[in-house]
Amino acid sequence: MLLQADNISKTFFRNTGSANYFYAVSPLSMEIRPGTVTVLTGRSGSGKTTLLNMLCGILQPTEGRVLMDRTDLYSLDDAALSRFRNEHIGVIPQARSAVDTLTAEENILLPARLYGKDPPAEKARRWMENFEIAHLAGVFPRELSGGELRRMAIIRAVIRDPDLLFADEPTGDLDDENTHRVLSALHDLAHGENKAVFIVTHENDAEKYADRVFRMDRGEVFPLA
Amino acid sequence: MKILPLSVKNLARKPGRTTALVLLTAFLALAVFGGSVITLSLRAGLRSLEARLGADIILVPSEAESKVSFRNMFLQGTTGAFYMDASVAEKALEVPGVEKAAPQTFLASLKADCCSVKIQVIGIDPSRDFTVQPWIARSLKNELGDMEVAVGCKVGAGIGETIRIYEQRCKVTACLEPTGTGLDTAVYCNMKTMDTLLAAAEAKGVSHRISSGDDSVVSAVYIKVRDGYDIGDVNTALTGKLRKVTAVRTRSMLTGVSDSLAGISRTVTAMIVVIWVLAFVILLLAYTLIVRERSREFAVLRLLGASRNMLGRMALYESAVCGLIGGIAGTGIAAVGVFSFSALIEGSLGLPYLIPGFSTILCLAAGTILLSVAVSALTSAFAAWRLSRVNPGTALRDGA
Amino acid sequence: MKKQVIPGCVLFILALAASVGSVSFLGPCVHEDGSVGACHWAGRSLLGTGLLAAMLALLAVLFRMARLGLYLGSFLACVLGILTPGTLISLCKMSTMHCRAVMQPAMTVLFAAAALCALFGAAACIREKKGRA
Repeated sequence: MLLQADNISKTFFRNTGSANYFYAVSPLSMEIRPGTVTVLTGRSGSGKTTLLNMLCGILQPTEGRVLMDRTDLYSLDDAALSRFRNEHIGVIPQARSAVDTLTAEENILLPARLYGKDPPAEKARRWMENFEIAHLAGVFPRELSGGELRRMAIIRAVIRDPDLLFADEPTGDLDDENTHRVLSALHDLAHGENKAVFIVTHENDAEKYADRVFRMDRGEVFPLA
Repeated sequence: MKILPLSVKNLARKPGRTTALVLLTAFLALAVFGGSVITLSLRAGLRSLEARLGADIILVPSEAESKVSFRNMFLQGTTGAFYMDASVAEKALEVPGVEKAAPQTFLASLKADCCSVKIQVIGIDPSRDFTVQPWIARSLKNELGDMEVAVGCKVGAGIGETIRIYEQRCKVTACLEPTGTGLDTAVYCNMKTMDTLLAAAEAKGVSHRISSGDDSVVSAVYIKVRDGYDIGDVNTALTGKLRKVTAVRTRSMLTGVSDSLAGISRTVTAMIVVIWVLAFVILLLAYTLIVRERSREFAVLRLLGASRNMLGRMALYESAVCGLIGGIAGTGIAAVGVFSFSALIEGSLGLPYLIPGFSTILCLAAGTILLSVAVSALTSAFAAWRLSRVNPGTALRDGA
Repeated sequence: MKKQVIPGCVLFILALAASVGSVSFLGPCVHEDGSVGACHWAGRSLLGTGLLAAMLALLAVLFRMARLGLYLGSFLACVLGILTPGTLISLCKMSTMHCRAVMQPAMTVLFAAAALCALFGAAACIREKKGRA
């Protein structure tokens, strides 16, 4: 699936003296193609997460459209957009994002269970083994370390086999070995399974796995490679 | 849709939070169900007393301490022993407007062998009686024979058993339906049996200020006023004609009971209202606090593709399940308390108290549980709405 | 561990309350003439049964080894406590009497709650044993 951002921007209220709003993301257009890894870097507060949220369908742009193939995401009603996100978009958020009342395995299978689908337990088990958290399947999130939680969130994002994968600082809590493992996995997903992968990161290493790199500064996006 | 199992897991795996919410609703249900059963029982008791008395005016000797003691006899089964000339019944019939006059003779027993307290023996004249006989007739086809008694439901003797009063064996031929009044602890017999019992009492050296074999004294005469006559006028006429006799209007006696009942009803209702307001506010606060605690969790669900509708439903399901469990628990505890200790409650209230029938109780229980679920859902509605509108982008970043 | 000890503590308090109650305000009828009826003996029996259940509960709290057996024993003692007034030992016939209006329902409620605690305690012991096995 091809994702197109068509002249999207986001303004927030902030009384700055000259105006009472500011551009978190200045108007921009971009494409995220299947089979590619797109990396977005930039300093904190440059608007990276806001852009990611708009692209993945959880934050409506102030202006512009986000098209997935020919579907305008924000023209869908809430139920349809939610279902669309569940089926086609996987998100690895920056922060701790586990549901505390569910075990690691239940958290991973949650996206499938939300809409009553058969949980892909075998696939989950494979991914967990791959990421070395298979022994933590029955453990609750409060007992997991930051790195284990991050790996759990990654598996949860890919478990529904989404066409698009968004990752916000996916390697933030990981050591070098796991960073490499996660970034290679995302790279393999893009190239092996023809997914569109969009990564927001501080890691310079990530650029090695990218097909395209953008830099964001004060709400503006510049292509790097 | 798999939202309900998720709600159940959330409840089961946060036992502290769930217990607190369940306890609050249980407290609500307990107050409503317990309070309602007590109020309804008092009302049923009053209706039953009205129906059971059947007479418009009761004539008692002036020496009968006061109206209050007479009232106590009916409400609490306090034994009474006061007598007047038997001719009062015939004289009363001569007063215009008096349709029926039924004499009754009271005898306070010594300890009967069934219990350690005195019981009230009431002698009736089946040929003239219109107050007790219809009730006895419901359980007994024939008239009461000699040395046969009909017992109130709380005397605790079954049909066919014999009870001993002053060493005289009396056969129980009927058990009367409950009335919730002192009449439930009385024993009824005909005048001939009464004579035998009186003789036995005398033989035991117990003075009852009434001699055996002498049917010239009675304790009370129940008067039914003919249609078209004013009870007040008849009452005045009776007082004028009969000396050393007090005419008590049953209506005024019932009004007294009814006033006390209204007082208790008001207190119970006020208590229920206060408990409800308090619990409502506490529940509302609790759910509002939960919004803060759970916005992160709901943001994650939203991120994974849950719609606003699903999240709202999830929050409502959870509070409804808490309400359901709390409602059932509260109603159950109240039922155990109110039904197990009904005799104690009746004794301490000192008013006619008759627990309503099974179907009424069942409806009341169902209503209480439904109400608990509704209140729980209602107080959480705002929280559910807020949670369903949580913005995953900001909620997750705020908590990062 | 907590799940096995807490029911024992509650059970101890309930059973002790039943036995203390049976010789005080939750006891049998008091006759003015000093005579005693059947309910008096029911009250005496309840005192013993309550103390037995309370002691078993205390032992269950203190001694881990025989906890399951002690809980089951106190459960049976509680059943005995429920059956004593009215079923095993008769009470006054009139339902307004103190023994029927207060003692019997109070003892039924206390011993039933205590029996539930004993069952919870026993269940916790069984679960723990299974977990270890």
